[in-house]
Amino acid sequence: MIRTMRRVRVMGPRRELERTLGVLQDLGSVHLASPPRLPALNPSPATRREQRLLRQLRTLAADAEAARSLLGLADVPPAGPVPDPAPWAAWARQARRLRHGAEQLGERRQRLEEERALLGKYREMLDAFSGLFEAGHLPAAVRAYHIVLRPGQSAVVEPLRQALTEVLDSAFELRTRTLSGGDTALLLLVPLPRTGRVERLLGESGVQEVPLPAGYERATAAEALPRMRARLEALPPLIEEVEAGRKTQGAAAATVLPPMLAATRDAISRLEAVGLAASTRSAFVVEGWVPAPDLPALGQALRERVGPEITLEELPPGVDVDAPVVLHNPRLFRPFQLLVEMMPLPTYGSIDPTPFVAVFFPVFFGLMLGDIGYGLMLLGLGVLLHRRSGEGTPLRAIAQIALICSVFTIIFGILFGELFGDAGRHLFGLHPLVLDREEPKDIVAFLVLCVGIGGVHVILGLVLGVLNALHGHRKQALGRGLSAVMILLVVAALLAAVKLLPGQLLTPVVVALLIAFPVLVIAEGIVAPVELLATMGNILSYARIMALGTASVMLAVVANRLAGAIGSVVVGALFALLFHLVNFALGLFSPTVHALRLHYVEFFGRFYSPGGVRYRPFTHWRTH
Amino acid sequence: MQIFWVTLSAALAIAIPALATAWAQSRIGPAAAASLAEKPELSTTVIVMLAIPETMSILGFVVAMFIMLRAGG
Repeated sequence: MIRTMRRVRVMGPRRELERTLGVLQDLGSVHLASPPRLPALNPSPATRREQRLLRQLRTLAADAEAARSLLGLADVPPAGPVPDPAPWAAWARQARRLRHGAEQLGERRQRLEEERALLGKYREMLDAFSGLFEAGHLPAAVRAYHIVLRPGQSAVVEPLRQALTEVLDSAFELRTRTLSGGDTALLLLVPLPRTGRVERLLGESGVQEVPLPAGYERATAAEALPRMRARLEALPPLIEEVEAGRKTQGAAAATVLPPMLAATRDAISRLEAVGLAASTRSAFVVEGWVPAPDLPALGQALRERVGPEITLEELPPGVDVDAPVVLHNPRLFRPFQLLVEMMPLPTYGSIDPTPFVAVFFPVFFGLMLGDIGYGLMLLGLGVLLHRRSGEGTPLRAIAQIALICSVFTIIFGILFGELFGDAGRHLFGLHPLVLDREEPKDIVAFLVLCVGIGGVHVILGLVLGVLNALHGHRKQALGRGLSAVMILLVVAALLAAVKLLPGQLLTPVVVALLIAFPVLVIAEGIVAPVELLATMGNILSYARIMALGTASVMLAVVANRLAGAIGSVVVGALFALLFHLVNFALGLFSPTVHALRLHYVEFFGRFYSPGGVRYRPFTHWRTH
Repeated sequence: MQIFWVTLSAALAIAIPALATAWAQSRIGPAAAASLAEKPELSTTVIVMLAIPETMSILGFVVAMFIMLRAGG
């Protein structure tokens, strides 16, 4: 159900505005609304002091947030109490210092990483020709060229060698090595006086020398490469040192930043809330929405903590069109709010479909998966998720939905006599109690059952649509009611035609249909017949429950038969396990998506009115 | 001979809608991915949109089952 909200107006002296907002924030139950439009009331402008404080707090929050992010700390609520009053000036200095330190460490680490990546590119070249560059191997009057050829360029080596022989005779040394990526490292040694001609030759061959990294350009390769190797070896400890420094800073900041961030965000939202108040020169007015059960506590807290000058007024009903929506359901249904909240929220005053989703979703899921073995696996998964999730988190809601769905899967598994398909039948003599989904005649009965459930679901949706529309759109309510009646009449006519109902009923039912049809067109317009046909199509859409259920059991049976066909018992068992795991994964995904679709499209489409405003109480950041 | 035609009919009853579903989902998929990149909150709508063309395959499967069952298979 959608919780009843009350529109409240809080009034008092202007000087008490900040304190009043503080009390409202502590209570955390008021959803602030736009400033009231009353004569002589203006939107409350923030004072100069408030504006300056807001600017400073935003800077503080930005510094603290940047430091937290750079130091890799999680955005968590403070473990202990937040200092009151907050030491804003000290915090601002501390946040700036933390940010500066974290930025410096980050920049240093980035520089070292970049240098390591650059030098790493030369590592293979170093390794390939290491013997040549050792002291004494390379004559002083020799120039070394380092060239890396792409895989497609290696054909230039031989023509280059020939050209060099023509120009230099035998006064050069050309060596090649194939590198791991398929590139070819080429080292060319030539006498210093002949470098001009060699460089022209290299240019004509279309190959370029690999330039030495910055800081080594002036050195010869023989000097640079050993230095580069030494630097490469020195870099990891330096990076580790920076990382250790970051961890030390992070550990120190982990106790400081959470209370700082929480208090700053709270103060910012309190100052921003001033803009939602309206005021005269000496008084202020704040309006908002509060859940009806929280109203007495609000009045009491304002009287006790601010004083008798503060007035709390409940505004008369009738102005609730923009009331925020908060879904509130019994404990058993509450996890299914998650599925409803995945859609835009229902408008205030309309019907919350959560209880219906809580009843039908597990039934559809169980009908589709319907297997004791898969149900037990889902139960295990649900228990695991439940243990790993915190109270009130979406993961906890998913775990609870999984647990409820697993119970229905096991129940339908017992009714269908299925345990990992037909394995239960062969191993434990399990027999279906209601339907055998492998039997052709029962498949038809299963289809009729699914479409029948679809009819009930869609007609329930139409009835809810009538109830929803009764608040204001009486003509629409009449149309939806008539649609529901016509669907019942069509079903009755079909059953009478196939003699499942007495044949005498056929004529009166058809006459009733002929009378209802023009009334429906008058109530809903010319599109009504099309919508009626669409509704019938929606009911047939529930055949997917049977289709997915049959596909699931067939896959399980195939897994068992294939496993049995394999000669080795161990291989067969492993194969069956793998196949069943795949089927289980499919059996989780498909029934969930299709059960959701049946709700969102077929069921909600009949009555759901989206567009509700989410209830966002003005509260402390740490309680979010 | 009859079993050939029954099997072929059942196969076509599922294959043609499956191809149609594949084509529809191939059009929805890129549009959905683009929408999700800009508005991640549309994920529910996207899931429902992707599930809508599957109705064709599912109904095709039901028809194929009926063909097989009517033929005594």
